[in-house]
Amino acid sequence: MKLLAITNRLYLISIGAVILISSLAAFFILRSTINNEFNRKLVAEKEHLLNEFKANPKLSEGNFLNVGDRITITPFRSDSVIRDLMLDTAYFEPYEDEVLPFRVLIFTERINGTNYKITISKSMVPNMDLISGVGQIMIGMGGLIILILILINKVILRKLWAPFEYLLDHLKTFDITSPRRIRQGEYTFDSKVDEFKQLNQVLNDMIKQSIKDYNNLKEFTENTSHEIQTPLAIIRNKAESLLQENLSKEQLEDIGKIYEAAGRLSRLKTGLSLISRIDNNQYIKKEPINLKEVIENKLEDFEELIAIKNLRLKTTYYGEPELELNSELTSILITNLINNAIKHNIKDGLINIVLKDVELLIENTGTPPVIPTEQMFDRFQKTGDTSESTGLGLSLVKKIVEHFNLKVKYIYEKDLHKLYLTFEHLSKKTSIK
Amino acid sequence: MNILLIEDEISLAETTLKYLEKEGYHCEWAKNLEEASEKAWLYTYDCLIVDITLPDGSGLDIIKKLKERKSRSGIIIVSARNAVQDRISGLEIGADDYIIKPFDLSELNARVKAVIRRRNFDAQNQISFDKIVINPYDRQVTVSGEPLTLTKKEFDLLLYFISNPNRLITKESIAEHLWGDNMDMADSYDFIYSHLKNLRKKITGKGGDDYIKTIYGIGYKFVKPS
Repeated sequence: MKLLAITNRLYLISIGAVILISSLAAFFILRSTINNEFNRKLVAEKEHLLNEFKANPKLSEGNFLNVGDRITITPFRSDSVIRDLMLDTAYFEPYEDEVLPFRVLIFTERINGTNYKITISKSMVPNMDLISGVGQIMIGMGGLIILILILINKVILRKLWAPFEYLLDHLKTFDITSPRRIRQGEYTFDSKVDEFKQLNQVLNDMIKQSIKDYNNLKEFTENTSHEIQTPLAIIRNKAESLLQENLSKEQLEDIGKIYEAAGRLSRLKTGLSLISRIDNNQYIKKEPINLKEVIENKLEDFEELIAIKNLRLKTTYYGEPELELNSELTSILITNLINNAIKHNIKDGLINIVLKDVELLIENTGTPPVIPTEQMFDRFQKTGDTSESTGLGLSLVKKIVEHFNLKVKYIYEKDLHKLYLTFEHLSKKTSIK
Repeated sequence: MNILLIEDEISLAETTLKYLEKEGYHCEWAKNLEEASEKAWLYTYDCLIVDITLPDGSGLDIIKKLKERKSRSGIIIVSARNAVQDRISGLEIGADDYIIKPFDLSELNARVKAVIRRRNFDAQNQISFDKIVINPYDRQVTVSGEPLTLTKKEFDLLLYFISNPNRLITKESIAEHLWGDNMDMADSYDFIYSHLKNLRKKITGKGGDDYIKTIYGIGYKFVKPS
């Protein structure tokens, strides 16, 4: 949800609540004030009337000018006394042609020996109008406040938050493998807001630090792999030289083991530095690669090995997908997959390769998996019988697959190891045979 | 045969020099670019083994200089495994071959021999070992004068052995020579074994001796039976 929407919603809710509460409060306060005022006015009118009446007793016999308040004076036979009875009622108002609310003050008064019942009725319409007028003003004011707040908010967001949006955009496009925008000074930040200035500062420091760390790591990996190379070469060559000497069987075997271990270490180093190079995005160059050609080439390399294990190889090409990949990594990927299918196979087993436009399936016979299938792609997971392997094969596969946003799925069913590689979104050109 | 080894790592140079001298080459050693330039300028070598990363510069400079002088020396680049670009540019400017660190001395030896053979460009240049004669150019092999038909891998294997006679060649070394680092090591051993079995059978079938001697599961030696 956008910041603007959230603040607007909060404004709307809080101001709406304030308006509602204050309107209600205003309504009740106003009503009671007006009521009191009204009652006092009625009582005052009563005093006024009585004074007039006492001064001019003939008043009751005359006609009233029935404009404004309605006043009736009728002789009262009873001796009972009514003291200022106040009640609300409604009369039909012929001029307005509708029934309207009135407040009536009823009282008795003995004047010149006669009991009179006097009523004063006062129309309440002006009061009602006043209250509803105030209500309308409140609602109108509330609406106006909300509208102005939303507008101000919009302006604030556009003007004041612009540097923030800029920072955000910049971060979104930031790529640690090619931090060119920062280096080229394209990045300029201008804001008067302290918080944003701080944010910018912190982000800049962080980015600089991560670029530095990234480069350090890259350098370290490169250096390490280079520095390890030479001592390894020395160990291997010295061991190889020693193997030529006239030594006892035990000594030769020991040296043979040193030699072998150095070789394994060297292969391990190659695998690990390959993984770190993929992690560091150092295989950027992509080109259209015909997967069918790669598979066929690799199968040629493995021809003899397949023959020696007496494996039955079946290949089916339903399509000839051309994918944007890095050729070196693709070669490593396919080699590892085929190698895996051969290595973990049984004698006289089967390898079935099915290539479709969006998917590659490599299935092979083999002993059931000893490690859970979900751990299959972790580093250094290996099945016992292949001590020579570095245990990096499938984790390399995973790295490459992740690098290219492919999907790999491994299942074991009906005595078959099935490895699916899907590349739906990468497949751009296909030709079905 | 004169060889110049350009390598900055003393221990590595020592072993390599010792090995190549045993093979009967006259070897010289330069430990940096400066020494190498001087030596390459003063003398003519049949083959130069050039490590690309040197303390004072890139070994590629030497190759460039030699090529400017139209030198006919064979050149083998030594590079790190991931330095693909160095390898490519080296071959582009005229190196004959490359070898990846860490390498086996028998592999280096085989490559030096191949480069020198190619440089001398003598189609009649044959390699013989006891009753076996190999002509590397048309890939013909005879045993006691009788032609021997070999598969590509068997031929490569035989040539590798004959380039390094009487030496223990490890299984790893053979595997790398035949398949590069594509192949899983453990698998390729079965493979070597079956190729060797066929090779033995073919050679003895034509009246040759059993030259291939197995050494305690470490590797093999190509020797004349005494």
